[in-house]
Amino acid sequence: MLTKLAGGRLFDPANGRHGEVADLWLRDDRITADPGPGATPDATYDLTGKVVMAGAIDIHSHIAGGKVNLARLLMGEEHEHHRFAGSPCGCGGGSGLATPSTHTTGARYIEMGFTAAFEPAMLGSNARHAHMEMGDIPYIDTGGYLVLGSDDFLLDLIATNAGQAAINDYVAWMLTATQSLAVKVVNPGGINAFKFNARTLDLDEPGPYYGVTPRTVLTVLARAVYELGLPHPLHVHGCNLGVPGNVATTLDTIQAASGLPMHMTHIQFHSYDNEGDRKFSSGAAALAEAVNRTPTLSVDIGQVMFGQTVTASADTMAQRHTAPLAHPRKWLAMDIECDAGCGVVPFRYRDNSYVNALQWAIGLELFLLLDDPWRVFLTTDHPNGAPFTFYPELIRLLMDRDYRLAKLAEIHPDAPAHTTLGSITREYTLAEIAVMTRAAPSRILGLADRGHLAPGASADVTVYTDRPDRRAMFERPDLVFKSGRLVVRDGTLVAMAQGCTHVVRPGFDDLIERRIARHFDERLGLPIKHFRIRDEEIRHGAGPILHPCRRREVP
Amino acid sequence: MTFHPEILCPFCGLGCGDIGIDQDDSGIAPRPSGCPQADRLFRRPMGVATDARMAGTPVPVDQAVAEAARLLGSARAPQIAGLAADVEGVLAALTLAARIGATVDHERSDALFRNLAVLRRFGWSVTTLAELRNRCDLVLVVGPDPAAAFPRLWERWVAPAPAFVPGGDRSVVFLGGEPLPETVQCLAGQIETQGMEADPQPDLATLVTRLRTALAGRTASNDARMAELAARLRAARYAVVVWAAGLFEGPQPDLIVEALVRLVRTVDGTTRCAGLPLSGADNLIGANQACTWRTGFPLRTGFEAGAPSHDPDRFAWRTRLRDADVTLWISAFRPEVPEFGTSGSVIMLAPPETAITPEPALFIPVGTPGIDHAGDVFRADSVVALHAGALIDRGLPSVADVIGRMLVALEQSAETQEAAGC
Repeated sequence: MLTKLAGGRLFDPANGRHGEVADLWLRDDRITADPGPGATPDATYDLTGKVVMAGAIDIHSHIAGGKVNLARLLMGEEHEHHRFAGSPCGCGGGSGLATPSTHTTGARYIEMGFTAAFEPAMLGSNARHAHMEMGDIPYIDTGGYLVLGSDDFLLDLIATNAGQAAINDYVAWMLTATQSLAVKVVNPGGINAFKFNARTLDLDEPGPYYGVTPRTVLTVLARAVYELGLPHPLHVHGCNLGVPGNVATTLDTIQAASGLPMHMTHIQFHSYDNEGDRKFSSGAAALAEAVNRTPTLSVDIGQVMFGQTVTASADTMAQRHTAPLAHPRKWLAMDIECDAGCGVVPFRYRDNSYVNALQWAIGLELFLLLDDPWRVFLTTDHPNGAPFTFYPELIRLLMDRDYRLAKLAEIHPDAPAHTTLGSITREYTLAEIAVMTRAAPSRILGLADRGHLAPGASADVTVYTDRPDRRAMFERPDLVFKSGRLVVRDGTLVAMAQGCTHVVRPGFDDLIERRIARHFDERLGLPIKHFRIRDEEIRHGAGPILHPCRRREVP
Repeated sequence: MTFHPEILCPFCGLGCGDIGIDQDDSGIAPRPSGCPQADRLFRRPMGVATDARMAGTPVPVDQAVAEAARLLGSARAPQIAGLAADVEGVLAALTLAARIGATVDHERSDALFRNLAVLRRFGWSVTTLAELRNRCDLVLVVGPDPAAAFPRLWERWVAPAPAFVPGGDRSVVFLGGEPLPETVQCLAGQIETQGMEADPQPDLATLVTRLRTALAGRTASNDARMAELAARLRAARYAVVVWAAGLFEGPQPDLIVEALVRLVRTVDGTTRCAGLPLSGADNLIGANQACTWRTGFPLRTGFEAGAPSHDPDRFAWRTRLRDADVTLWISAFRPEVPEFGTSGSVIMLAPPETAITPEPALFIPVGTPGIDHAGDVFRADSVVALHAGALIDRGLPSVADVIGRMLVALEQSAETQEAAGC
């Protein structure tokens, strides 16, 4: 099948194209070079004046696994009110907004022109579940980031001075056994400390049982990820999430990395200062300045948008602090398998609440003060800041200053004084949006054939009408192709497609397996062989897509 | 004779991964595992009938599948129940349910819904089996001994010394229930009972209320033992409250569950305390997980004009039997089916050695996950999913295979009707 997308304006920053008019050719599931004048395409689309981009990639979205399913159960009212029938193309319908069911998740993403989304908090003990669920999400590529850093095995390795090499082997073994794409650390050591009844744990505070500080956990994991040569740097959900004044901890965390690459996630929740009468103010300017001058750092925002959502996190310690604010007033918490935990707290962000309004403003401030779109990613930490379906609205806020100022005027009247948002004139360009949602995500995750439009890339393509209302433009693409198949036309699903699961497999010295096997026998009560996820378990036998790792030495 | 070590058991929901299985030409048999369920259900003969039956008469499976598709496709109020299958089988059943507008429920979901009712209206604070084993210094068992449903619970998760408890000491207190003799033997001196002395048939709800009153510091002076238990909960480092809601008797058992969750929250405010609600034989938890991720709702969900619709009362399978005109009953794990009566037709997918009375309209033999084919099952604590491998090939299809063929048959008949201009 040969398809010609004729005469569109290509926004393909990975290949240096910023709106140039050109034809784009798809052969089967790949983008292909112009086959020359003799070729007759099976289908031709006249895209004169249209904006053409690769399929968008969401690097941080809680779409699958135990905590998401628990959140669905907790959010019964939402599901009751938002039920969807299947489409004739085979998409099975479902329910939910903040915690959509699997088919609904795939449908909502592809309708917006997203062709990949990654689950950023997969627990090893829950990985098989997460993979089953990801395999049931149609249309989009997926993958999981393995949560480490509060698991008793790792803390024991650190506490007994097993050495960096053993830690690297363990990390590599776990990535392989759980079919993961990257490593995430969540409140380093904090989830473990909470199991020993510590209610807070600061960056340099020794944890209650192992005596290991979060700083140590963070640095050994950042080093392991670097030395194993994983494409994606350590994905860091830092200490003190949501605590006023936590920007100081966040700045310290940047120092802790001491030059090792690091991705700091949902930094909006980690950018709070404690100035003013309410002891709650924006620390965005200081943080943005630090990120701007640290080229080894990348960040995503975790933008808050107003409305009902639910927060779901492995950070049981932080979630216990949030629980009294639950709306509706119910929440759940779990300690999990000497591994980590999860906390689910429904939440309603209100524009007339000073704190929520400021959270909204801080997120936008960060987007606008961070000067390199290759190192900042569009996220709402779905569903924690807002459901991912708010992305078109968020893009409009970034691209349209007048609209942004109008919205700023609607929030709690005391909030604007505590942020610099009103004075920022920057508007994102289409080229910058294409970097932030396509080229940069594929680069930071090591997905060489995604996020761009060069020959050989996966034929994941989104076509938009260039409208002044950027929300309307990004909400409803004209055409979306997944692996070369037209799946969305004018915002409506027209065909079914399945994505892939992306993983890394860095290799390890298998001597580590003896120590891990003993841990499984003595602590987890499960022979190690039952833990490993085989390739044939991924996507009903299709197996994963492997991405190369290149081992490195810390200079 | 072949020996298979470390085989995963998919039956009760504890996910034991250490079963030894002997295989010879006559079939498979387990080495004694300490679990009556595994010892019984892993014993399978090689020679079984692989034919389907239509009204008791053997027919090829293809013919039975075509007839099942016809019955299901023309049903006005179909239900898919039993639902005892691996996750693949459950997902296939959900696809079929959406296609024909059926409700879905698992045979053993009563216990689950007692817990879910509380989760959905109040939330909960719970833990998993490895946390129980390694961190817990005080186990409070509420109600009847869960070992009745989870035979190796104590042996595997409480008898080993906890890794993170200084000195390795832990106590097990039974509140309003008697430990089974096997439990007493397994846990030896760790066990105490509470609330049994005054009344041989204790009202569980009252006992839990007395304990919560004691925790609130408002104990009647004659309830010193409850005050002492409350003090021990507060003094414990990591207490785990274990219950099997399926074994609770009396009206509104979900209120006992809610009281327990509130009790856990009270204790957890100052020290650590978590619940461990156990339910989940025959992949009940996996069926609920899959139903939740696919539809956004737990089991007892149906489809109205293609959109899911949940009703924990009306769509419970026994209630639904009253008005279902076709029931597709799935029981892949054990050759047993509960007794039920319905005026509708019954299509049954079950192991071939299943004895059924009365004979259903259609019987299609299926294999057991973890014996005849590989399949995923969830553990009773809901976090850990396990992949049970295949042991023998008796020519039995999986539930997902059979339902997949029904879906193809339904598709073909829809196309034929379209072509004929129906």
